[in-house]
Amino acid sequence: MNHVHSWLSGRWTVPTVSGLLILASLASSQLLGEPGWGDLFMVAAAVVAGTPVVIKAWRALTAKVIGIDLLVSVAAIGAVVIGEYWEAAAVTFLFAVGHALESATLNKTRSALAELIAVAPDVAVVLRDGQQVEVGAAEVREGETVLVKNGAKVPVDGVVSAGTGALDEASITGESIPVEKSAGDKVFAGTIATGGFLQVTATGVGADTTLARIIHRVEEAQDAKAKTQAFMDRFSAWYTPAIIVMAVLFGLITRDVVLALTLLVIGCPGALVISIPVSIVAGIGRGAKDGILIKGGEFLETSARVDAVALDKTGTLTEGRPKLTDIVPLQPDVDRDEVLLTAARAEAGSEHPLAKPIIDAANAAGLPVVGLPEHTEPVPGKGIVATLDGHRIAVGNLALIESEQGRDPSDDARAAEVGQELAAAGRTPMVVARDGRVIGVVGVADQVRDDAREMVRQLHGAGVKKVVMLTGDIEPVARSVGSQVGVDEIRAGLLPEDKLDAVADLQRQGYTVAMVGDGVNDAPALATADIGVAMGAAGTGVAIETADIALMKDNLLKLPEAVSLARRTVNNMRQNIVIALVTVAALLAGVLFGGVTMAIGMLVHEMSVLVVIANAMRLLRRHGGRTLDRPGDGTGTGTPARAGEVRTPQPA
Amino acid sequence: MSTITNTTKTILRAEGFSCPSCVGKIEKQVSRLEGVESVTVHFASARVEVVHDPALASTDDLVAAIAKAGYTAKPAAF
Repeated sequence: MNHVHSWLSGRWTVPTVSGLLILASLASSQLLGEPGWGDLFMVAAAVVAGTPVVIKAWRALTAKVIGIDLLVSVAAIGAVVIGEYWEAAAVTFLFAVGHALESATLNKTRSALAELIAVAPDVAVVLRDGQQVEVGAAEVREGETVLVKNGAKVPVDGVVSAGTGALDEASITGESIPVEKSAGDKVFAGTIATGGFLQVTATGVGADTTLARIIHRVEEAQDAKAKTQAFMDRFSAWYTPAIIVMAVLFGLITRDVVLALTLLVIGCPGALVISIPVSIVAGIGRGAKDGILIKGGEFLETSARVDAVALDKTGTLTEGRPKLTDIVPLQPDVDRDEVLLTAARAEAGSEHPLAKPIIDAANAAGLPVVGLPEHTEPVPGKGIVATLDGHRIAVGNLALIESEQGRDPSDDARAAEVGQELAAAGRTPMVVARDGRVIGVVGVADQVRDDAREMVRQLHGAGVKKVVMLTGDIEPVARSVGSQVGVDEIRAGLLPEDKLDAVADLQRQGYTVAMVGDGVNDAPALATADIGVAMGAAGTGVAIETADIALMKDNLLKLPEAVSLARRTVNNMRQNIVIALVTVAALLAGVLFGGVTMAIGMLVHEMSVLVVIANAMRLLRRHGGRTLDRPGDGTGTGTPARAGEVRTPQPA
Repeated sequence: MSTITNTTKTILRAEGFSCPSCVGKIEKQVSRLEGVESVTVHFASARVEVVHDPALASTDDLVAAIAKAGYTAKPAAF
């Protein structure tokens, strides 16, 4: 009984019944020679398929909306009134069939999001009072210990407290190579344990998990209107009444009611209406599966137009873990250890990223850095000045040292020379001075990331004209890194506010600028850029919620992938619009020159809708080569990650 | 001011809306229930957000109301 009930309210009920009635009608009139019964069945078919449409049209009218349902209703009723029973039945039947097909396939375009939702965990095993208790995933308390066994879904965001295991994090980052986890590592809800046993301390539960934030964001993105879509909505709003008016006019002029009714059917903007949303849903869904979260249709459109990318050097193009590489004493009575220790002790209280490598190097060299200087004064963009044992110590660039009193100009010249040598080799030089006397220079270098060069190459390939490196570091170092990586332009020596100016300058030159930053000190520049990109966003709630594009994994190659996806989606949208418009134009020509009946008009119209949906579904397919964790080996002989998948060879 | 006290927000996800007029249908059916303060339907993401008093309108009632509009929906944790 339940089966019958669910079938009765299924999407195929109306088309099936209507179809059967049409067959009955044809059978009656053609086979049995009973045209009276034939007409009756035909009208019945039209009523069965047409009634839901009329009801929807009525409801829409009460909400002051004129839509497709009204067009089809008027056409069908009109056809019945003038005795064109076959046309009426055919139009409503085809409309019903098309509708059923549409809703089935439209669900597929949402499959990416549906998969994310399906991955959401339901249950969790927690340790309460030493017992293993199964609870709902959303009922775990923060700080509780959750057990993750082999094959289970991780139910919460957390930190591993004990045990080891491997997790498939594809649902969050888009990378399906399992990641080894051990004590201290972060884990995410919705990932799957492929081996081992983990004890996890919960940090985020339910809506507070990265998975929930991703889902929330994808949904918001799919709901948000693209500019083109808003335009389409306004277009349809006057287009549909205009069709009715036009049809009425034509009918009055030519006194051909059939022509007028056919025009109504042809005018249905069905394909036009869904052409954009369907591409956006598919494009955003595809991105989410690959760990690329785009905020919405509007951002998709802007991302597709990006032709300049601004990148921070430290942490984006480089590893972000600078190390001390050189110590050059410049006075005969000062040795390397003294230079190092002096610099390290002066930097002891500093938060600056260049302070840590000096301190670490001192500790590693057996020169422990104990305590803090009596007085510390950071000078933004230049360095730090501290008072150590009564001495005034300055560590920073030449500009800082030049403002110190009582120096020997030949010392300055030697420091500058050493500094230039280091910089040309890609190291950031810092001059150390005590009581105004230059005692030495230290060099700090940050390793350039493996895939930085490949990323810039792919960005150019994806259509980005200018890749710009922004850095507060000095020009020679910037140039050294820049040439290693292949950027088009370097802007060095920038203070944080200069970065904003750099972005604005690019925009003034006419570029659509995407900026990649860490969101903390780049916030103003990120906000100025047309598209702000956050990398390695998994685990950072704020980045996921606010960045225009959030790349879940800290993988540089995801950036060109995102730009490429945006372009493909916008192209797809345009293709759909063209398909919709061409269909209407062709049908219109067909009607005016004869040969296109209402039935054919509806058939072609429904087919155009399905074509638009199918076109959008192409976006859901994996495109070309996958983004790998590491660039290819250059020989192109690597085996595909999965059978049947194409892996594009990466040239060395 | 007739705000209902003790309200909670429930998010339900339905299979998939294929016609924009469904938005109005669902909103009407759900808002008819006593205890429902507001209902918002998101078309593209097939979500229904309801602010309601669970004592008067339970989650099951919401699911039934949405079913009357022709869609199967399930409540979700987020």
